[in-house]
Amino acid sequence: MAMISAQTFFISFFGLAAVWFGIVVFRTHSMMRSALALLFSQTAIGAMFIGMQAEFLGVLQIMMMATEMSIMAIFMVMFMMDPGGLGKMDMTHQKRRSVITGLVAFLAIVAVALFTNWGTLAGSVPDSAQQIEDLGLELMGRSMLIFETAGLTLLTAMIAATAVAVEPLKRNRN
Amino acid sequence: MTTALILLLLAVGAYLVAVIEAWTMNGRWQLAAPITAGIALLGRESIVPRKPDRVFFEVAPVLLLISALLAATVLPLTPGLIITDLATGVLFINAALVYVLVALLMAGWGPNGAYAMIGGWRFLGQLIAYAMLIVMPVTAVAMRAESLLTTQIVTSQADLWNILYQPLGFVLFFVAAMALAFLPPFDLTTATSELAGGVEAEYSGVRLAVFRLGRLVLVITLAATIVVFYLGGWQGPWLPPWAWSAIKILAVTALMLLAGPALPRVREADLLSLCWKLGIPLALLNIFVVGLQVLVWP
Amino acid sequence: MIVGARQGKLSGLRQLVAKAMARDLTGFLVPGIDIAHARGLDVEAAGVRLVASPRHASVLLVVGDISPALRNAAAVIYAQMARPRALLVLGTDDLSPLPSADVTAELSQPGLIDGIAQLRIAFAEGAFRPEVTDFDAPMLHVRVEYTCPMHPEVVQDEPGSCPKCGMTLEPREASANDVDSHPHETHDHGSHSHQHEANDHQSMDHAASEEYTCPMHPEVVQSEPGSCPKCGMTLEPRKAKASKAHDHASTDQSDMNHGDMDHGDMDHGDMDHSGMDHSGMDHGDMDHGDMDHGDDAFMSMIDVTKDLPRSSDGLPMDWIDVPFGPFFPGLPSGLLLTLTLDGDTVAGSNAGTLTDNVTLPHRSALEPLSFVARLSNMEPLAPLAYHFLASQAMENAAGIDITTTAAHGRIGALERERITSHLGWLALFGQQMGFDWLLRRAATMQLKFRYANDQQIMALKPDLASLIKRLRRTPLLKSRNAGIGRLAQDNALRGPVARAVGIDNDARSTNPVYTALGFKAISRDSGDSMARLQVRLDELSQSLALIDAAGTIELPEPTAIGSATGAGEAFVETPRGAAHLYLTLEKGLVVTAQLETPSTHHLTLIDTLTKQQSLGDALLAVGSLDLSPWEIRQ
Repeated sequence: MAMISAQTFFISFFGLAAVWFGIVVFRTHSMMRSALALLFSQTAIGAMFIGMQAEFLGVLQIMMMATEMSIMAIFMVMFMMDPGGLGKMDMTHQKRRSVITGLVAFLAIVAVALFTNWGTLAGSVPDSAQQIEDLGLELMGRSMLIFETAGLTLLTAMIAATAVAVEPLKRNRN
Repeated sequence: MTTALILLLLAVGAYLVAVIEAWTMNGRWQLAAPITAGIALLGRESIVPRKPDRVFFEVAPVLLLISALLAATVLPLTPGLIITDLATGVLFINAALVYVLVALLMAGWGPNGAYAMIGGWRFLGQLIAYAMLIVMPVTAVAMRAESLLTTQIVTSQADLWNILYQPLGFVLFFVAAMALAFLPPFDLTTATSELAGGVEAEYSGVRLAVFRLGRLVLVITLAATIVVFYLGGWQGPWLPPWAWSAIKILAVTALMLLAGPALPRVREADLLSLCWKLGIPLALLNIFVVGLQVLVWP
Repeated sequence: MIVGARQGKLSGLRQLVAKAMARDLTGFLVPGIDIAHARGLDVEAAGVRLVASPRHASVLLVVGDISPALRNAAAVIYAQMARPRALLVLGTDDLSPLPSADVTAELSQPGLIDGIAQLRIAFAEGAFRPEVTDFDAPMLHVRVEYTCPMHPEVVQDEPGSCPKCGMTLEPREASANDVDSHPHETHDHGSHSHQHEANDHQSMDHAASEEYTCPMHPEVVQSEPGSCPKCGMTLEPRKAKASKAHDHASTDQSDMNHGDMDHGDMDHGDMDHSGMDHSGMDHGDMDHGDMDHGDDAFMSMIDVTKDLPRSSDGLPMDWIDVPFGPFFPGLPSGLLLTLTLDGDTVAGSNAGTLTDNVTLPHRSALEPLSFVARLSNMEPLAPLAYHFLASQAMENAAGIDITTTAAHGRIGALERERITSHLGWLALFGQQMGFDWLLRRAATMQLKFRYANDQQIMALKPDLASLIKRLRRTPLLKSRNAGIGRLAQDNALRGPVARAVGIDNDARSTNPVYTALGFKAISRDSGDSMARLQVRLDELSQSLALIDAAGTIELPEPTAIGSATGAGEAFVETPRGAAHLYLTLEKGLVVTAQLETPSTHHLTLIDTLTKQQSLGDALLAVGSLDLSPWEIRQ
């Protein structure tokens, strides 16, 4: 029982940390702080995964997010005109719409969490080495098509986005 | 107990890195110099520059040190001398090392200085590229060991060390490790003659001491990683395992530090194109070749 | 006893710390390593580790006399150093506005070693003191000026509104000496008040009033509700803020600077300075606030950024002015270089010198000997070349011919100076490239060549050859230099810079004594940094051959010109190119003189060489010119 409560404490602590950093993203006026707050929010989610004994997912999340959010930081600073850290930028806009969207999404997620049939609670979790093996078999087995398609789609989207971003510039010059 | 011992070893390692680094610079063995320099730094003022981002400024040196230390927790020095043999060990090293990037971005942004800021952004470009050259060769290493356990990786090299089994991967990983530790000639982020010290420029006193310690620990950790992944870890004839680990790690450290004074700094454009246009295709080739080798000689 | 001691009683643990500090001296060199080498000093061999950032230095090492402008810059450096900090001065007395020197020594290697020994004692005994005084100087004070977020050219000392657009001017900080050190600097893009909001977020909401704006056309703003004259949409209300409602100065943290110590010194860190300015990006705020988004309007980055300068990639970014000089490691000391950076790319530059402009006689009489001394003291990097220049011009004016032996002696001395100067440049260029081996090796060779006689020089020949050979084989050297700082053929070019583009511009070619010794100018044609490096390497061997052919090195005695009257001129090929001197004599006195130096021409190249280059390439291009700020005439 003590073990379980330690785990619960760990998960809820990082859950709250994730939410808190998520709020900080919009509370700050600096792009840089905003981006890194998002990073720590995601890292906290990674820590939650570890708390839920999904070691691979947790470590992967912690690793991927560091690079991704750092990239986001530089893009935010570059495109959002904050190289010197204006520090006066308001991170919120279209407030009414975002409040509504946020509420709807939150309710939808709560509804999904409450009304889904999650099946029976697993008695024991396979050890992490076993998890990695299972995950590998899953990825290379029946889910392969899904993942490959998703990967290719993302790649196409990235290339297309770059192409779209570059094109108008050329036209302007002519 | 193990933890305390490894922390002690890391401290000794950091000291030795400092000694070797000074030797590669001026050819003299100054055994007391790192210690006096450390004490002197602790006694000096630690200035907070004007209008800093205080949180980032304070956190950055500590985060650098912690990332390097965390990466060291999953590295085995002897079969039993490892803090935690995580099932995701290889991935965990990567995860910890990526926070070096976060630390340097903070150190670049925090002090509100142009040199530091440019240094921080330069490191972002550098690490995004070279992190690929960390992850991809490591993938090939894990493929051979069929495990992400670092101890398993060492034992998988019992017959043939990875430096011979996948020499291309070794070269790529070695270069990437140097770029990750911003050792010259990849020191664009702290370049003295371009940025007057870059991310380090505004730190002084205790904070600078922590930052430099973090970097020394990072170098020794990376050297240990190379030894575990490519040089058969603790394995070797005649000598006990700990001796082999120590000898190999110090040799790799010296090799990493020797290139610096003998070469001009790489141009930033060359640094990036070298990685994206040459390094990454080669890393993919390496994965492919190792895949074939694993299939042919299981 | 050290003036810049740290506060505290020297007892117990602190004694140990002070001893460690005495052993671990880190130095910041003023004016720079090139001057130290040219004056025959090897600072690292004497036991001081040189550092690039003043924050890391415990000793400010001043070498020789420097101009008031450089002293001001040095004072800024001193103020940035962490305590305990000491001032070691070689060969000069005049230091103001710096505090008095902790140790003074003569300008020589033994003097330096002696000074460092004294400094170690001073550190061990006086690194901590119960009472310390602050260092203060006029250039350290921050001046607040006001500028319009949309019209950066509008700058004034008083708050108010912009004469062009009526927006409220925003405060920003400028250092007090900005004005005197470079009066021509326009405060265009650049200085933006970079404000990391530390704790204050809400400060901007007071003093807000309601106004109405179009969601699609943010430029439409009026105080009454209504519809947009451009698109007819209903205007949305928004809060207008009086944008100067908060004062940056009140929120910054400069006063909590040294969290861990008690003396409330506000001197370090705290200013903006011409020296190595670290707080250069003190930047002003493009006020996004007033493009404020009404509740449903998306904030348009196009509107916010439309007035910003564009770089070649079309991405608008804030530009920052970053100083690289006058004491920047790897660049010629005394060179004031400010680069406007657009990310890592140079968008513009501003170059000059902070050294004294030597006054030449202009309708005033000067003794020949003091004229020669004045000219050769002007340029510490090539004193003999200017010495000869003055002597030759006077001989020409007086109609005196010197013997071939004397001419050979001069050639020997001039070519030896060329070798030391090129080696000095190699050392500096090595530092610039982060190529430590080259820095040390070239500097050591330079010190050996400095006073070598002709036999010693011949003995050094294999050393020099092996240096050149090793350098040519260095990996990465070519990729670092090829194609960087490419110059087109241009008549303004002089010396090795001209010869690297294939212009045979060498004053030695027209000198019969030189041609008799078999001199032929060396040239390359690619005109980039690599070609300049190669030309200088070739000239090292060439100068050795010339010394060999001349067979003698003679330190010059200026020829007595008696009471001659007349006009004369001379060209001398200094290590940086041909210098020209025209002078008139009246009864044995120099009455007017006009001097033209190569670096003056080359200074104007910096702008084209650096524009749109990445920072590393731009600095390398500047370094490859081998400018000497000491001979630049403004």
